[in-house]
Amino acid sequence: MTRLENVTKYMMALLTALVVTALYAPIVMTIFFSFYKTRKGLVNWESFSYEPYTKLIFEKQILESLLNSLYVGSVTVVCSLVIGFYFANYYHTSRGKMKELLQFIIFLPFLLPPIITGLSLLIFFRELGLPRSLNTVVIGHTIFVLAIVFKIILNKLETLKSSLMESAYDLGASKLQAFWYVLLPNIKLSLIIAGLLAFTISLDETLITLFLIGNDTTWPIKLWAKMRVGFSKQVNASVTLILILTSFLVLLIATIVSRSEKRIMY
Amino acid sequence: MKSVIDYFSSSIWTIISFILIIFLILIPYGSFLSYSFFTVDGLDINHEFSLANYKEFFIDEIYINTFVRTIFLALTVMFSCILLGYPVAYFLARYAGKFKYAILLMLIIPLFMSYIIKIYMMRSILGYSGLINKVLKMLDLIEKPLEFFLWNQNSVIITLVIILLPLIIIPTFTSLDKIPTNIIEASFDLGCKPFQAFRYVIFPIGFPGLVVGSIFVFILALGDFVTPQLVGGTSGFTYGKIIYSNFGMAFNWPFGASLASILLFVSVIIIALTNYLTKKRKS
Repeated sequence: MTRLENVTKYMMALLTALVVTALYAPIVMTIFFSFYKTRKGLVNWESFSYEPYTKLIFEKQILESLLNSLYVGSVTVVCSLVIGFYFANYYHTSRGKMKELLQFIIFLPFLLPPIITGLSLLIFFRELGLPRSLNTVVIGHTIFVLAIVFKIILNKLETLKSSLMESAYDLGASKLQAFWYVLLPNIKLSLIIAGLLAFTISLDETLITLFLIGNDTTWPIKLWAKMRVGFSKQVNASVTLILILTSFLVLLIATIVSRSEKRIMY
Repeated sequence: MKSVIDYFSSSIWTIISFILIIFLILIPYGSFLSYSFFTVDGLDINHEFSLANYKEFFIDEIYINTFVRTIFLALTVMFSCILLGYPVAYFLARYAGKFKYAILLMLIIPLFMSYIIKIYMMRSILGYSGLINKVLKMLDLIEKPLEFFLWNQNSVIITLVIILLPLIIIPTFTSLDKIPTNIIEASFDLGCKPFQAFRYVIFPIGFPGLVVGSIFVFILALGDFVTPQLVGGTSGFTYGKIIYSNFGMAFNWPFGASLASILLFVSVIIIALTNYLTKKRKS
């Protein structure tokens, strides 16, 4: 290794460290301010307390928005998995030329700016006379995450041998049996990964939700509304809890992915 | 007989899947495009074809100017992300050894962490008496607080870079990581200088990932309306913010829709161009 290469290597290591710091700075500050108070811009080091976390139980609005977000996330997961599996299976088994067009359309909401998907659904619902509610938000989220769910399931389906399903049929399994006993156990992990990912994305989706939300609020929308008056410590506490939840989900996804990759290799 | 039934059952599934797609995705996009040709009449929407909205876009300078400025803003964000993200992805793929996936995961997690919170906290980091100014003052590096990143285009750019940076690192890393080390060694054996090895071997292989990441960053920065609203102040308004305000207070949905269809048009061109570029490289 030349000296020049060594220098560039350390420069890049330094840059990586800086980038990690910059990405985490806002998050660490939020967690910090949920525990400590500031006075006149200086941190009061003796003000450490868990109180915001216990007080969170009395913050009805925040709790309600959290529950709404969990509801939207769960329904989005179910809808996107069902539709995503259906499309992936269709794409995998069909030999027609239409399937490429289908894939292109599925990917549109994911590739285009979220503002466009949000306002097009808003206009569509208005023309239908459908009032805005949490369910319209679910539709928006489902369309948005569909491309990712579709792609993850499709990748898994493509690793399976076609003889797998054929032999199930040859042994006399009905379509439902072949799906339930043969296909489903084989794609189970990819469904879990896709579902967790859809849930994590839905939990934090803001740009589409802002257009589709009615009188109820999801958690990011509540934060957006609270921002104008400044965050209370309870809000910071709720942020910390959600951050713990999302990092847990991402770590879980990463663990499952790395495990399933090993299983394919050996 | 069986094949006939099979044919019909498979075509029924085709029909169902297309009906789903049409109702969930295509009709909403269609209704939004058709709205761009309507006009507003008080609180009612006049469903008659007119080009008035597009005329207004091209006549009133403020819209074109904002659009062009937003494109430049998104380009600045994109190139800043490339400048910061590419070396990081390169470092991870080539030098980080057994830690590379751990560090990559550390870079992925913030992507899923609350978008609103990140913007909110950037306000207390960038502000007049924010973290950066405070630390610089404490170190006696500055006399007066710095002002160039206060509630203007610069603060929007910095915030967007922090939010979108992982999007460029991840795909770039995945394509750089595929390069076997023996290819790089072979290029050295064949007499390549380090820069040549980078220019002719490593960079072309990592290029598709970089392009995918850049396009994601560019399009998301182009359409963002929350960041400029929260850290942009009065001078930092962007095209996305104008679209959004037409759906809120201004209540001119048709005009907002026509502004958005111009955004759609530009995005589609960019996506198609990227697709073409990466495909061409492959063949």
